[in-house]
Amino acid sequence: MTIVQPIQIQVAQKVFEAWDKLGVNGRAEKLQKALNAFPNEQRKMAAWQINNAKQSIAETRVMPGPTGERNELSNQGRGVFLCMSFIEGDKAKVGLVGQIFAALIAGNPVITVGPIGQEIMDMISSFVAEGVVQNIAESAQDSLIEANHLAGIATLCDPMQAQQLSQRLAAKSGLICQLVEETDAENLSVIAKPHYVLRFVTERTVSNNTTAIGGNATLLELGSMND
Amino acid sequence: MFKAIEVLQPNFIQRPLNELWQLISPLYNMDEEKWLNELLPLARPTEGELETQTNAAANLIAEVRKDDDSMSMIDALLLEYSLDTKEGILLMCLAEALMRVPDKETADAFIKDRLSVADWASHAKNSDSFFVNASTWGLLLTGKIVTMDEKKDGTPANLVNRMVNRVSEPVIRKAMNQAMKIMGHQFVLGRSIEEALSRGKSYRDKGYTYSFDMLGEAALTAADADKYLTSYMKAVESVGKDTYSQKHRPTISIKLSALHPRYEVGCEERVMTELFDSVKGLIIKARSLNVGITIDAEEADRLELSLHLFEKLFRDECTKGWGLFGLVVQAYSKRALPVLVWLAALSKEQGDRIPVRLVKGAYWDSEIKLCQQRGINGYPVYTRKESTDVSYLACAHFLLSEHTRANIFPQFASHNAHTIATISCLAKQLGATTQEFEFQRLHGMGDALYNRLIKGSDICVRIYAPVGSHKDLLPYLVRRLLENGANSSFVHRLIDASYPIADLINHPVTTLESRKSLANPHINLPANLFDDRKNSFGPNIEIESDWTPFKAKVDAFMGQDTQWRAFPIVGGEKVATGQTHSIESPYDHNQTAGQIDWADAATVTKAIDLAEAAFPAWSARPATERADCLDKMADLMEENYAELMALCHREAGKTIQDSIDEVREAVDFCRYYAQQARSHFANPTHYTDFLGNEKQAKLNGRGVFTCISPWNFPLAIFTGQVVAALVVGNTVVAKPAEQTSLIAFRAIEMLHQAGVPTDVLHLLPGDGATVGAPLTSDKRIAGLAFTGSTGTAQLINRTLAARGVAPVPVIAETGGQNAMLVDSTSLPEQVVRDAVRSAFASAGQRCSALRVLFVQADIADRVIPMIKGAMAEQSVGLPYLHSTDVGPVIDKKAQRMLLDHIEYMKAESKLIAQTELPDFAKNGTFVAPTAFEIASIDQLTDEKFGPILHVVRYKARDLDKIIDTINNSGFGLTMGVHSRNETTCARIASRARVGNLYINRDQVGAVVGVQPFGGQGLSGTGPKAGGPHYLQRFAIEQDL
Repeated sequence: MTIVQPIQIQVAQKVFEAWDKLGVNGRAEKLQKALNAFPNEQRKMAAWQINNAKQSIAETRVMPGPTGERNELSNQGRGVFLCMSFIEGDKAKVGLVGQIFAALIAGNPVITVGPIGQEIMDMISSFVAEGVVQNIAESAQDSLIEANHLAGIATLCDPMQAQQLSQRLAAKSGLICQLVEETDAENLSVIAKPHYVLRFVTERTVSNNTTAIGGNATLLELGSMND
Repeated sequence: MFKAIEVLQPNFIQRPLNELWQLISPLYNMDEEKWLNELLPLARPTEGELETQTNAAANLIAEVRKDDDSMSMIDALLLEYSLDTKEGILLMCLAEALMRVPDKETADAFIKDRLSVADWASHAKNSDSFFVNASTWGLLLTGKIVTMDEKKDGTPANLVNRMVNRVSEPVIRKAMNQAMKIMGHQFVLGRSIEEALSRGKSYRDKGYTYSFDMLGEAALTAADADKYLTSYMKAVESVGKDTYSQKHRPTISIKLSALHPRYEVGCEERVMTELFDSVKGLIIKARSLNVGITIDAEEADRLELSLHLFEKLFRDECTKGWGLFGLVVQAYSKRALPVLVWLAALSKEQGDRIPVRLVKGAYWDSEIKLCQQRGINGYPVYTRKESTDVSYLACAHFLLSEHTRANIFPQFASHNAHTIATISCLAKQLGATTQEFEFQRLHGMGDALYNRLIKGSDICVRIYAPVGSHKDLLPYLVRRLLENGANSSFVHRLIDASYPIADLINHPVTTLESRKSLANPHINLPANLFDDRKNSFGPNIEIESDWTPFKAKVDAFMGQDTQWRAFPIVGGEKVATGQTHSIESPYDHNQTAGQIDWADAATVTKAIDLAEAAFPAWSARPATERADCLDKMADLMEENYAELMALCHREAGKTIQDSIDEVREAVDFCRYYAQQARSHFANPTHYTDFLGNEKQAKLNGRGVFTCISPWNFPLAIFTGQVVAALVVGNTVVAKPAEQTSLIAFRAIEMLHQAGVPTDVLHLLPGDGATVGAPLTSDKRIAGLAFTGSTGTAQLINRTLAARGVAPVPVIAETGGQNAMLVDSTSLPEQVVRDAVRSAFASAGQRCSALRVLFVQADIADRVIPMIKGAMAEQSVGLPYLHSTDVGPVIDKKAQRMLLDHIEYMKAESKLIAQTELPDFAKNGTFVAPTAFEIASIDQLTDEKFGPILHVVRYKARDLDKIIDTINNSGFGLTMGVHSRNETTCARIASRARVGNLYINRDQVGAVVGVQPFGGQGLSGTGPKAGGPHYLQRFAIEQDL
């Protein structure tokens, strides 16, 4: 059976690799240009998400371990994220901006929903490559939720809606689609936390054991180092 | 530990041979300080002796430096490109790989890669040596093209770019190849013994003699071993025919690893028969032609095995009465002195003198790294260069002593002027004549030094000369360059006229004793590898003194009379449910490891009730207290190491090394998560929120966590999940795999013993229907950690979501369709070794195991037969035997699925090889390691969790397509890459959607806190186990 992907997923997947490869700082540079267009609190939230990511996920961490090899831990985007809010109001909008910026700065292409999503997308899209941020009509939301290759959904909703979404995502085949839900629209107690951005990344370890061309030479130097 | 100084007493070597043998092994990882304090008196000169030795060394160096020809081309190269420069390392890399790359495209890409990253031009005119500039720029063929004019051309980087762009890689490729051939010429005496004998004549006229070594890597296949044996036989014949009249005839040096594909302790029986026969044949031939044979020294793990084999050969009729069968001893080994003592006694007992080449040792870096990786309790080698020098002189003192000289003919191999001068002085002091010992040097090195020495003395100097094709030269060459190119090397300093002579003639005893500590503080012991936690310990199963007592402890649990009896543990009580199941050993279904009662519904409910009630108190305990329990657990597992290993064998069918690795991983998880909890959970973190308010947040436990673990890492993954959930402040209900619940039972007992309250942690063995379902459908479950198949993860996720409560964290580690990409710059021997281990170790039952090997078409016809040959050498057998490489698969269901796949693939693709199964395989669930060649990864639909490898050929230009295909499989767990081209490695690394990428190594055995492990896409949700973000997912972040 041929599975037809929604066109937005296909477009997002095409730009995913290039967007992810920019790295946190590369993406931050682009996203920061979009900040001025946002109203006060939304702008602060967006800027905070960017800075938080720069501090927590930008760096490739060199892990300790045996001499003569190199182990690095870095972060990548997970894939296409659908960002949406079932809740209206200014606070929720700040939260939605937070979700979208967290997802983007982490390296994921984002699909927003409805007029609010469109508004946010319009403020960002001219600063990023085509397809990095897309918008769909609310009527198309269900087909996106059901689509394969959706890496996750970030949503502001009430607890009941979160449960329902969780069940819908779990019913899908393929990869376990992440649900990053915020049910406290008033305080944004999930979105506005330092560890929130971790929900949008996948980690990657690279172990390089290219001995005989440097690794072991380094070890030899260690062995003869003065006290 | 014996008193080293006593070896100078003539009667010391008259002790029984077996008694002297016992002195060797315990020194393998002896405390370095203690042992060096024993050795120092043997090496320490009197004041008068020190003055004599120092003056002799100073004179020798001064004379060598006066000599205009002292700097050979290779010396000049080393001086210019010291390995502390990036260019030096890159040049070695280029040299090492370039000549074996068969396709021009890859070679050109490789050159571009190398030249683009270094500041070559800054070196181009620093050296007067034509060779240095030539090899840098490839001017040998294209001198006219690159006339350097720095004034016009601006920055060096631009020069390189211009040259690369203008001249093009093909021209450089030809030139570099030519340069490498010249380097080869410098280091290799000839492509054949005849050529070597002919080229060596001028040196022999000066008084030198030779020991020839046939170049080559260690044999991986029987065919390789046959090839090397033939080559050694021919070498012996050629040297035997040599008519050059000389007092000291040339000899042949042989590498045992080249003569047998499994020259290792685990295969001792084969070594003592098959390899014995091969070497015996060589000895018979050599003796008939009066050509001496020397056995080269190799890795420390093989030392004791090599001595066993040497003794058997030495005592054989073919060798008795000969006196020209010798071996090499490495002074950097802590065991060197007792080995020499034992050899002297052996020689004395038989009455045949043994020629012994004393070298400093060439595998120092790998020895250190290997011990660090394996958590060995110490190092077999000294950690300071001067300690090796001290050991060398101490050994020399013993060798030159009157009572030893009669039994051993010492051959001192060194390029260090101080060592040479000191040995000469020592010989005089001890009354050894120049007929009673000799010096040895490497071909292409130390010419000036030994030319001086040989002029004024009748001492024999033997040149160790590699013979073989340029292709085989490279690994050898790189090792020599790495050894001698490091800035600290004496050779390097000797030729560097700016280095003061006074600094070259320090006696190693003086240098060592001036240090604050005898051991090198920069080389941490394996146990202290990490700054913030203790590394797990692993016994070395290759070393008699380490393994024999350890094995005895394991054996105590291996008899059928030892049966474990396990139950669900709820609230600390063992719950007898009457649903009793026997656990069969996968390697023999006639044997059982014990019995376990499965939990029933009431037991599951009670466990969740208790866990829920215990949560507030446990989560309120300071994180440091919870972390203490984990540290205690780690210690308890190490205290019960032997029992846990026996359970790994008997319940999970794990081999010895796999069982050690299993316990170590579990220990590491405990210590790593304990350390992480102390760092991140003990105190609140301060942050500024998006509105600029200063806030404090704390990570807290979520409630009752369900942990569902697999059978393939029954202790490590089980413990890792449970302790991660616990240390964060959650209470835990744990369901181990049905097949491996006994070891989980012991782990829970130990966790309670370690201080985890009994109402906080509960064990619920049983099947999915009775235990798994309620553990995932209960509304009180606040989170779940799962490792297993992708399908089961999806089912669990659905059950959890259907509960009608807020979504909870699901941390799932699932399957993979793991690939390894191999291009033509890679080293085939390393590829085959790593591919075979990645695919077949643990019977392929690792999430990370290699399933699809992509080999660049240009080298596939070389690599695939090598895989076939290496598979023929794999031993499928009983997991508790050292000789076994591949044990059973876990159960009949797994076996059936794998055998079905093998049958299917036999019809659909080309069988490369299938390893033989032993007769007793029918008693258990064994699957023969099998390899198929397939056209594309698309031929595989899902993961086959067992010892089955699929090989795909690809064209270099299709690399991106291959990466796309792998990405499109949806899985993303591990990937291996073998390439010397860093640009290629970086390209693959940036494009491949995998969790763990391994470059130029195997792709299994991730180490906790070093290589955080976990996949993406269909392979798991993350965060990575054993990584810095894992614990956070078990927690909730709350403002204070």
